[in-house]
Amino acid sequence: MTVSLAIDTATSRTIVGIVDNGVVVFEDFHEGATDHGKAISELVTQALKSTKLVDQVVIGMGPGPFTGLRVGITFAQSFALARSIPWVGVCSLDAIRIDSTSNDLSTDEYTVAIDARRKQVYWASYKAGLRISGPAVDKPEDIEQFITNIFPDVTKLVELSSTQNVREPMYLRSPDAIPTADRR
Amino acid sequence: MQPLVLGIETSCDETAIGIVRGRTLLANEIASSVDEHARFGGVVPEIAARAHLEAMLPSIERAVKTAGISLRDIDAVAVTAGPGLIGALLVGVASASGLAQGLGRPLYGVNHLASHVSVDYLTHSDPLEPTIALLVSGGHSSLLQVDDITGSITKLGATMDDAAGEAFDKIARIMGVGFPGGPAIDALAKSGKVNAIDFPRGLTTSNDWQSRPFDFSFSGLKTAVARYLESTPDYAKGDVAASFQEAVVDVLLLKALAACKQTGIDSLVIAGGVAANSRLRELAEQRCEKAGIQLRIPAPALCTDNGAMVAALGSLLVSAGRAPAAAAFDADSSLPVTTINLR
Repeated sequence: MTVSLAIDTATSRTIVGIVDNGVVVFEDFHEGATDHGKAISELVTQALKSTKLVDQVVIGMGPGPFTGLRVGITFAQSFALARSIPWVGVCSLDAIRIDSTSNDLSTDEYTVAIDARRKQVYWASYKAGLRISGPAVDKPEDIEQFITNIFPDVTKLVELSSTQNVREPMYLRSPDAIPTADRR
Repeated sequence: MQPLVLGIETSCDETAIGIVRGRTLLANEIASSVDEHARFGGVVPEIAARAHLEAMLPSIERAVKTAGISLRDIDAVAVTAGPGLIGALLVGVASASGLAQGLGRPLYGVNHLASHVSVDYLTHSDPLEPTIALLVSGGHSSLLQVDDITGSITKLGATMDDAAGEAFDKIARIMGVGFPGGPAIDALAKSGKVNAIDFPRGLTTSNDWQSRPFDFSFSGLKTAVARYLESTPDYAKGDVAASFQEAVVDVLLLKALAACKQTGIDSLVIAGGVAANSRLRELAEQRCEKAGIQLRIPAPALCTDNGAMVAALGSLLVSAGRAPAAAAFDADSSLPVTTINLR
């Protein structure tokens, strides 16, 4: 019996859910690419009204725009530390649930992509529900065909926590900076 | 029982956690990413933010262990809400918010500059109040009037361009003596003469004393030093360092003492990373003694950014009965010093 608090801030949404043994008892999100900091605290306050006791925190570790991603991860990790409960990191792209009928898919192969700023996207490809390439960051025109405007799902975040344990944020890009010695 | 407060500071490149009980310091843990920034000659915000996230949990755990407490015993969490680098501040605020919510304890979002001043309350049983405070670091150069550390701080002046510590970094970079520039220049200056080169003192004309008596400017000085270095290929590093440092320190103290005189407040607290500068400490002692002003400069480890100061201010706010943040808040990179804590 596990009650999971799931948190994902890899997209423009701040997503919070509580899943009690496979049953979603709370699920909500806030839309706003620069609102993660305030939204997460408000959503978790709401979430805790449905369940006081939480056994683990499941965290979407990205990939996603850095600042928002970090807010979710730091909040979630600190919450887990305060409660003396474990946190489990999962890949946010893997937590996106694709419904083949509504997306008009003829095969069980597809690619998902989310905004990575700077005219690029974070993407990954799946076949029969398993990731076959990515996650990576590229220009959208360099990826054949992809589904976008999609978001991680709280149930799937929690499902993934039994098979994944990502410990580092998935930035996929180095910080922009030029060493003094290389400047002209 | 006095309040047990945990403070988190991430406004620049230091991930710092402090724990205080009342006004007693129990832990002051600092993880710095300064070495990662050295080859860039300055703090790279994204590198700092990544380092904060990486260092956060281990630093909190170390602080709790050092303090010999359990996180569950914490009465309140305090965090630097600004001013500072926004990406860096956000990591601290998110962590503090997660901790406070996980523990079910109140959260105080506090001002970085006010925190620096509150160190005096940790280190002295008779804190100076009211006092003039000079805050000088890589990101700030401000003169403040502190009437009540939890309720009333007035900004008298601040830098118009570079912060004092930033000027040290830039000159050190041009001279190729390393980053951060403060300690490098301080060391070099010991082998030079303070009056070898007559570098300008920013905003000290009679007009400036009329219109902006407590503001600073270091960009003209920086340009003057750069020009001197260009036109003097065989310059003596020690003399340049000592003369440049003297120009910075001189103007900082001229204005701080003028603020004391004008307000009639006979005490001065100097804090911030530049307060670790040996020449500033030496000259401040001499000039304050002469002017009959009581001077307090914390030990270097409490001058630079630290978590103890945030915990200290949090604890003072709790003891004064000030309300914690009523709602979720965001970090504010340019939080004015008049906002001591977010409501």
